[in-house]
Amino acid sequence: MAAEFTEYEYVAAGTVDVSQLEPLDKETTRIMRDEMSTGSKLTIFYYVFIFMIPILNWHASGFMFSRMWGGMTYTWFVTGIVAMAMAFIIAYVHTSLYEKRLHKYQGSTGTPSTHSEGRNIG
Amino acid sequence: MLQTLLEPKMILTILLMGTIVYITYLTKKSSTASDYFVGGRSFGWFTNGSAIGGDYLSAATFLGIAGLTFQLGYDGAYYAFCFSIGLTLLAIFVAGPLRRFGAYTVADFLAYRFHSKRARLAAVAVVLAISGFYAAPQLLGAAQILSMFFGTTYEFGIIFTCTVMVFYVGIGGMKGTTINQALELWIRLGAFVLMAAAAVYGGLHYDRILAAINEFHGSIAGTAQFAKDGKDVAFDGASWTGTGHYFPTFWQTISMTIGLSLGTIGLPHILLRFYTNPSAKAARKSALMAIGIASVFFFFAVYLGAVGRAVFLSGSASPEVMKDLVAGGNNMVIPSTAQALGGEWLLGLVIAGAFAAIFSNLSGLFIASSGALAHDLYATFMRKNITERERVIAGKVAIVILAFLYGALGLMVKTASIGHLVALAFTVAASTFTPIFILGIWWRGMTEKGAIAGLVIGLAVSMFMIFCSSMLPAFLQFKVPGLITVPVGFLSVYIVSKLDRKVPADVNDFMRKVHSKESEAA
Repeated sequence: MAAEFTEYEYVAAGTVDVSQLEPLDKETTRIMRDEMSTGSKLTIFYYVFIFMIPILNWHASGFMFSRMWGGMTYTWFVTGIVAMAMAFIIAYVHTSLYEKRLHKYQGSTGTPSTHSEGRNIG
Repeated sequence: MLQTLLEPKMILTILLMGTIVYITYLTKKSSTASDYFVGGRSFGWFTNGSAIGGDYLSAATFLGIAGLTFQLGYDGAYYAFCFSIGLTLLAIFVAGPLRRFGAYTVADFLAYRFHSKRARLAAVAVVLAISGFYAAPQLLGAAQILSMFFGTTYEFGIIFTCTVMVFYVGIGGMKGTTINQALELWIRLGAFVLMAAAAVYGGLHYDRILAAINEFHGSIAGTAQFAKDGKDVAFDGASWTGTGHYFPTFWQTISMTIGLSLGTIGLPHILLRFYTNPSAKAARKSALMAIGIASVFFFFAVYLGAVGRAVFLSGSASPEVMKDLVAGGNNMVIPSTAQALGGEWLLGLVIAGAFAAIFSNLSGLFIASSGALAHDLYATFMRKNITERERVIAGKVAIVILAFLYGALGLMVKTASIGHLVALAFTVAASTFTPIFILGIWWRGMTEKGAIAGLVIGLAVSMFMIFCSSMLPAFLQFKVPGLITVPVGFLSVYIVSKLDRKVPADVNDFMRKVHSKESEAA
């Protein structure tokens, strides 16, 4: 089970200047870096696709609004059909890569890490 | 009276209501706050995925997107495209970490990240603003359906829907809400599939109807008798299939794309759903399933909007349907088209589906907002040492308060477009919670002051640009102002955090918590 939230007092843990912050442990740093790297790459790819549609609509409208088959234009096909599939494909690739990384982590460290100390969360 | 009760729309709506009552009765026992606010975190990925879909695919999708496509053509389809992006981004950056954090409400995240009551209070204000913005168009949809197909007044529709919500959420809590949302999603999907099948069976293939619409130019026969000015409605097919009419500039389009694509990450009722998963792995699977369902839904919504337009132009529909399409506004395209395609039974199923959409989404908004009022506001600021039972009772009282609040908002938006109102809610979410969650999960340097500044400035700027845009120069007037408000939200958090520099001393523990592998084996 994932950790369960428990009530806590608003006891300020205190603040430190960001420059005084201890570096994160290696394992968390690696997990975050891997996750951010994968997520960013997929997001950049996705947004290139997303913004390509209005850019082409406005700057290559002759092509985008020409017909593919019947009354279906290139832009309607991409916006109304391909883009819907793309949302799922990006999410599916992200989940698959995450599961792969998870196996890799568990293979390299043996057991999963236990929950963090220092915060009263159950 | 008996004849009215035997009408398909009445039979299917009563069946839906009966099912809701039965499920709510079965799940009425919420002994703990965890039961009431997050369903005891006991639902698997399939139920949760269906419920996330049910929560996300509101009246804006079921009625609004098709309505916008019917009215605006390609620009309406572009709305659907923008709505389809957000869940994917949420799955990539937020779903897993949010579940690993594991709280009751969206405001808990901020309160815990900074040990801050002020941050919690700012978050509550934003939750209520976004939820109010989102609830009003759902109530509008319900009231319009009741008015058009059951002959009730608009005001009765608002009161009736709010009453159902008080019962549904107040008694069932998150457990009842989750099961109802999951079931209602499949009712809606069934209605869309049957409508699409009826359209294809009737020869209304996608490429053919788009061609027919594109080639139509002139007056639509048979509409004069229903039009207010007594003249046939004019229509230009070429502009309908083109762009640049509703969004007159390239930057207007980009602005909407940014606002809608990033809005989902900041929607409180969607974020809350990720707390109800038993594990982070289940949270990701739920998200993936919801994205798959949403993609299918948006595809059907755009197609059926085009089908509605083709039916309207052909004049082949019954006078009753033509009247609905002329007088009903774009929100009623799906019910009217269903009636034209499959008669009374399909109309009945679509009406039941529309109620399912509205109840699903509203229940999510009600439960998220009741958490903000009862758990974040009352239990934190007004009542120390509150018991579990009192916390649940507070949640139920909050539902009643919200019914009055949202009901009043519903009465104010009688003539608005559902889809566009929801788009504005997305913009507020994208400008407030989206920067907070993305930066809060991935950047240790975010400070309490930065987070509060981001929420306050993001909310203020987005509200100003929505309600007071006429005070701005023409180049800053956007239909959906995401291009301005989203960067302002992100920059507010970043700049204030950089200037403040005071991060919580235990921020590393927080990062370990939300990025740990602990829950993956679950």
